[in-house]
Amino acid sequence: MIWNSKIECMSRDEMRILQGEKLRKIVAHAYQNSPFYKSRFDEHGVKPEDIHTIDDIVKLPFTTKQDLRDNYPFNMMAVPMSDIVRLHASSGTTGKPIVVGYTETDIENWTEGIARCFSAYGLDKNDMIQVSYGYGLFTGGLGAHYGVQKIGATVIPTGSGNTEKQLQLMQDFGSTAIACTPSYALYMTEEIRKRNIDMNNIKLKVGIFGAEPWTDNMRKELEEKLQIKAYDIYGLTEISGPGVGGECECQCGTHLWEDLFYPEIVDPETLQPVAPGEKGELVFTTLDKWGMPMIRYRTRDLTCLNYEKCACGRTAVRMSKIMGRSDDMMIIRGVNVFPSQVESILLEFPEYEPYFFIEVDRVNNTDTFVIQVEVKPEYYTDQINQLVKLRQRLASRIQSVIGIQPDIKIVEPNTIERSTGKAKRAIDHRKFE
Amino acid sequence: MLIRQLSVFLENRQGKFAEIARLLGNNDINMKAFTVSESADFGIARIIVEREKIDSAYNLLKSHSYAVSIHQVNYLNSPNQPGAMAVAMEELCKAGVSIEYMYAFADDASHNSHLVIRTSNDELANQILSEL
Repeated sequence: MIWNSKIECMSRDEMRILQGEKLRKIVAHAYQNSPFYKSRFDEHGVKPEDIHTIDDIVKLPFTTKQDLRDNYPFNMMAVPMSDIVRLHASSGTTGKPIVVGYTETDIENWTEGIARCFSAYGLDKNDMIQVSYGYGLFTGGLGAHYGVQKIGATVIPTGSGNTEKQLQLMQDFGSTAIACTPSYALYMTEEIRKRNIDMNNIKLKVGIFGAEPWTDNMRKELEEKLQIKAYDIYGLTEISGPGVGGECECQCGTHLWEDLFYPEIVDPETLQPVAPGEKGELVFTTLDKWGMPMIRYRTRDLTCLNYEKCACGRTAVRMSKIMGRSDDMMIIRGVNVFPSQVESILLEFPEYEPYFFIEVDRVNNTDTFVIQVEVKPEYYTDQINQLVKLRQRLASRIQSVIGIQPDIKIVEPNTIERSTGKAKRAIDHRKFE
Repeated sequence: MLIRQLSVFLENRQGKFAEIARLLGNNDINMKAFTVSESADFGIARIIVEREKIDSAYNLLKSHSYAVSIHQVNYLNSPNQPGAMAVAMEELCKAGVSIEYMYAFADDASHNSHLVIRTSNDELANQILSEL
């Protein structure tokens, strides 16, 4: 089913006209109401009057995650705080998260995007959708929640964790779809097997998977084991949250809702647009987001775009699976992790050397997050419990700042490579292709 | 009496202790007593060597990049017979001194036992133990 066929199946020419109109409005709004954008545009020598069509977008400067950090918490807002109806946040460095504010219209538009995704997965008012994304500051839970209500389906707001209860409710209520990270879904399949749950008691037909990269092999495995169709949902907090795009029944790329979130692909080195269909960094401009517009926001996700009409009937551009990152961010158990976050936390501890090495892997469908650290010579002791306590303090601090619990491994002195310029500070053993 | 003990941090990897034993052996340093305690991914070897060689052992390990430290611990030489150790422990307990860790071995030739005891208050423990 197509939720908004007028938009999702609009001709490319009409779409570009619509995008141009919306771009003019949002750029004028950002320039007039956000001191951040005004000074950024002025520095760059561009005025709202220079924007006529969507092609003029290349005249505009880029926005980065660092800009969000620098303007914490509310300096990028383009409306008075009295018009902001919700805040979400994702982890930042050392206690300073990235904050995003939404007006009522922004929430509606975000929800529209998710409704389009859910419809594309074949879900409607007859479905019962278990939202197993985390609720709270993370956009996953509430974003999906509103989307479920929008299409008139029943939302089961289980949130993340407590797998036993999740599986119980899934059987008792007869959930027909589940929204969670693909790795959590794989973990659930293991639990179903261990508990000898009869698959006849599980009525799932659709899995809505996102918030971390996943592979076609994972899709196959999930579809076989849960007897579902597994669909990708894409999004990021800075742009709104999940539902920036989603797959259709053809499973041949993630449709992006480009009347709301205009995508470009640029070369991450030169920042120039790449030739159509080529791989590069995905950049979004929110065309209908008023609280905190994002103009040419660099996602750092590497992918490519396909503008051919899809067999499902949609003309909405299709994005390939994310092929990597143009920075060193890793997504571990659905949480964004930057090595620089670990570094700044380590610096808070006088007992540790400022060197570390992160090792990420996937064992039994769960991401492992190991951080090797060295203790300063004077803090190595004869008492093992002191080192165990020291390790626990670091793990707790990282958990509270980044949002996931690492496995801290204290290693012998001088075993971690010292940074000589660009030291490799992390290795990811997970296979995404 | 108080003696000095070497503590060496070791990653939990095959051959780690062999490395240390070989290094000390090649430098003519004899271990008189030791114990290794471990957590999941690391361990600490606590080693007693001949008194006059402890500083050179420390420097040797340090120069090979080991995380090594020296701590004072209590050494008790007591008769190897039933109840001997109980007396020592009872006296420490009465004085409010608790045991962090200890290791011991019996010397059949002299009918004595040798104990290394690390406590919450090693100075006080030394006083108590020397008055036994």
